[in-house]
Amino acid sequence: MRVTQGAFSFLPDLTDQQIHTQVQYCIDNDWAVSLEYTDDPHPRNTYWEMWGHPMFDNPDAAAVVYELNECRKIHGGKYIRIMAFDSTAGWESVRLSFIANRPKTEKGFRLSREEIRGRSVRYSITPYSTDLPEGERY
Amino acid sequence: MTGNNEQVRGKARYAAGVLEYRKMGYWEPDYDPKDTDIIALFRITPQDGVDPIEAAAAVAGESSTATWTVVWTDRLTACDKYRAKAYRVDPVPHEPGQYFAYIAYDLDLFEGGSIANLTASIIGNVFGFKPLKGLRLEDMRLPVAYVKTFQGPATGIVVERERLGVFGRPLLGATVKPKLGLSGRNYGRVVYEALKGGLDFTKDDENINSQPFMHWRDRFLYCMEAVNKASAATGEIKGTYLNVTAGTMEEMYKRAEFAKELGSVIIMIDLVIGYTAIQSMAKWSRDNDMILHLHRAGHSTYTRQKSHGVSFRVISKWMRLAGVDHIHAGTVVGKLEGDPATTKGYYDICREEFNPQALENGIFFDQHWTSLNKMMPVASGGIHAGQMHQLIHYLGEDVVLQFGGGTIGHPHGIQAGAEANRVALEAMVFARNSGRDYFAEGPQILADAAKTCTPLQQALDTWKGVTFDYASTDAPDYAPTNTPS
Amino acid sequence: MCSEEVLGEEQEIVEEVDLAKDFKESGVGEILDELDTSLTGLEPVKTRIRETAALLIVDKARRKLGLVNEPLTLHMSFSGNPGTGKTTLALKMADLLHKLGFVRKGHLVSVTRDDLVGQYIGHTAPKTKEVLKKAMGGVLFIDEAYYLYRPENERDYGQEAIEILLQVMENNRDDLVVILAGYKDKMAKFFESNPGFRSRIAHHIEFPDYTSDELLEIAQKTLKEQHYKLTPQAIVALSDYIRLRRDQAHFANARSIRNALDRARLRHANRIFNESIGLLNADQLSTIDDVDILSSRVFKGGIDNF
Repeated sequence: MRVTQGAFSFLPDLTDQQIHTQVQYCIDNDWAVSLEYTDDPHPRNTYWEMWGHPMFDNPDAAAVVYELNECRKIHGGKYIRIMAFDSTAGWESVRLSFIANRPKTEKGFRLSREEIRGRSVRYSITPYSTDLPEGERY
Repeated sequence: MTGNNEQVRGKARYAAGVLEYRKMGYWEPDYDPKDTDIIALFRITPQDGVDPIEAAAAVAGESSTATWTVVWTDRLTACDKYRAKAYRVDPVPHEPGQYFAYIAYDLDLFEGGSIANLTASIIGNVFGFKPLKGLRLEDMRLPVAYVKTFQGPATGIVVERERLGVFGRPLLGATVKPKLGLSGRNYGRVVYEALKGGLDFTKDDENINSQPFMHWRDRFLYCMEAVNKASAATGEIKGTYLNVTAGTMEEMYKRAEFAKELGSVIIMIDLVIGYTAIQSMAKWSRDNDMILHLHRAGHSTYTRQKSHGVSFRVISKWMRLAGVDHIHAGTVVGKLEGDPATTKGYYDICREEFNPQALENGIFFDQHWTSLNKMMPVASGGIHAGQMHQLIHYLGEDVVLQFGGGTIGHPHGIQAGAEANRVALEAMVFARNSGRDYFAEGPQILADAAKTCTPLQQALDTWKGVTFDYASTDAPDYAPTNTPS
Repeated sequence: MCSEEVLGEEQEIVEEVDLAKDFKESGVGEILDELDTSLTGLEPVKTRIRETAALLIVDKARRKLGLVNEPLTLHMSFSGNPGTGKTTLALKMADLLHKLGFVRKGHLVSVTRDDLVGQYIGHTAPKTKEVLKKAMGGVLFIDEAYYLYRPENERDYGQEAIEILLQVMENNRDDLVVILAGYKDKMAKFFESNPGFRSRIAHHIEFPDYTSDELLEIAQKTLKEQHYKLTPQAIVALSDYIRLRRDQAHFANARSIRNALDRARLRHANRIFNESIGLLNADQLSTIDDVDILSSRVFKGGIDNF
């Protein structure tokens, strides 16, 4: 199983050099780049943990790659994504997001079905990782 | 221009009988349009012998206050204000016998927030007018005050992306094929395969409603099973445009409610349901956190020919006001009509906050959108993975690329087709961001990505060199360098 | 999903290189020429920079031929008294490294201890990292670097900054160049007690004091840029000033002279304001006379600030 969130999940895992190139593209667009990590990759888990603030003042992507490696030292077994924020009027949102680190084996999701009224089914998606308490998931 | 264009004033103006439109006050060459005026640009082809200025004045008259004869009741009104004013007539470059007529309408001629009202005036009567061989509404300038009376896209590009969690690449979709005949169970199979393989969306076709082979509830139920299963398999939010088009508003609301109950992120309507129904569904979508996809079914009956009808850029403007989130706006490279420069104009109308005049793209007026949400254009019809560099080059990043045949027709199945498209897309965006000349190197970038992705290699082999290279019927009238005064 | 590496950028290996062409295309020649013409004196420094540039060009060529893969260690120390042009040279160095492709952006981030070291536990690491990240792609210039190290205080947070600096200087040699600067003797002591720094610094450049003649030349150049001039008497007065000032405490070479000129301009402005009874021309407004210099405290046995 491979979580395919983000812009480049169908490509081979990116090298630090490739991550640098993509991040530099963001910085050159005046976007602030940040790192987030999680052990709960539910598709609607919007708020992953922040690894520091978005980086607003670093002209070179090496700063992000440096922090990525710092983050990996502690959260290397989890999902880490890179997000680029655009403050331009009319956007003021994320402009690029991709996964930069993932667990060696990904546990995937359980799909539960609850039959309700008529033939309708209420669906629920649960990451298998969250069966375990925080800190023991990956 | 020939003939006496002088406006008749005073008592003579309202004497019973027939008076030329240009003499009734519908031709005002010195008129300076107000910021609050709605301006319409018509392409008029007068019948032989009809003076173009009289024809323009007639269009102004018939689309505002006039009737074929003088009426004394005009004098009970502030009729000078309500008369639309043709103020400029230019010959169309390289098209003898055709003229661009600029007509200004006072804002008080219109009810706020109603496309039906706007269109009843602007295209209500005039298109059958006998003195004209043809009439086409090319563009409109909508004043800020008027734009602000509309809701605009229910969700918009930014929030759609936030809801889906997809940033920095075009979205991918596919229309389920065959369009007609699949049972609900079989239909859901296509949806599951395509979404699991890597697409973000699948789509009902325009004429999939509730037919004997598949009633709507069956389709909704099986589709949502497929959507949720694919979501669990990939960790991504997936969607399928559930077409709620039906015979009555009541029925459409019912279907939309059911889609919401099942947890669908998106519903779909057809353009043929009409402007008021579209606005109603847009309002419903805003109230129910739903993305609203519009299939422009039927538009080519009036948008395609240059001499008569309504340009699609005008339809796009109306739809942004009316409030849909997705609109099919052409592919440039696919099987359906779409010249690159003209298509760029449509895309700009969908996505920009401000459209500057760009005659080379068929955009005649500066247009402010006053922070109305952006519409996501959809490119669908005869496109495949091998064209990825061209698609991104022409259409940009905020677009849904829909590969129907290009997904389902893959020799190794639907999942393989979807994967080929997704890999091609990600490789191309990656190359673009890396600063490569991806348009020129596109085929090489795809070939490299295919080295480790067999489905992409198969797709490239299967549709190698498939192009649809026909002369466009709707190219812009102005070359980029030829800007008229 | 696809596996394996297909997207990496590889350095192309060539068989021959043209050093003269590389040099010309890099634009380094212009920087070196500009150094020569715009900076007075500093001959040994200019020579060192020219040597360093040659080394970098050759190293780049060797990389092209596939002879080197390891990133080059480019961290430097600039030692010399205040006002000897260290910051100015650091700016030029950043530009030079950028033109040769050894740093990606070529900006200079100039800091002192206070920018790196925090006030409480847990404050220093993020502070130092912020500075390092800002400098990545360019050059980090740490003035009076020895203040990072305070052996008299065991709990000094400076040590934490030093450790992070050393780590980044070692692991991120591709990403930034660090220049440590300060007084010559203090720098020497600092390197003695911090072997980690000593081993990571590849280039030591010493900045000599300016001669009195050079300082006079700098003064005249500076005034010319500001559209001022000196009367012949004023030139004599300024030479005397330089001779007296350089033997006083807190002498900071060119900086002291520039400050003295600022004060001279102030006195000049006051003088012509008080004396003026009629219309003044441009010449009067821009001519500094000996009285404007001679009223300095230095001539009365006092000390000017810096």
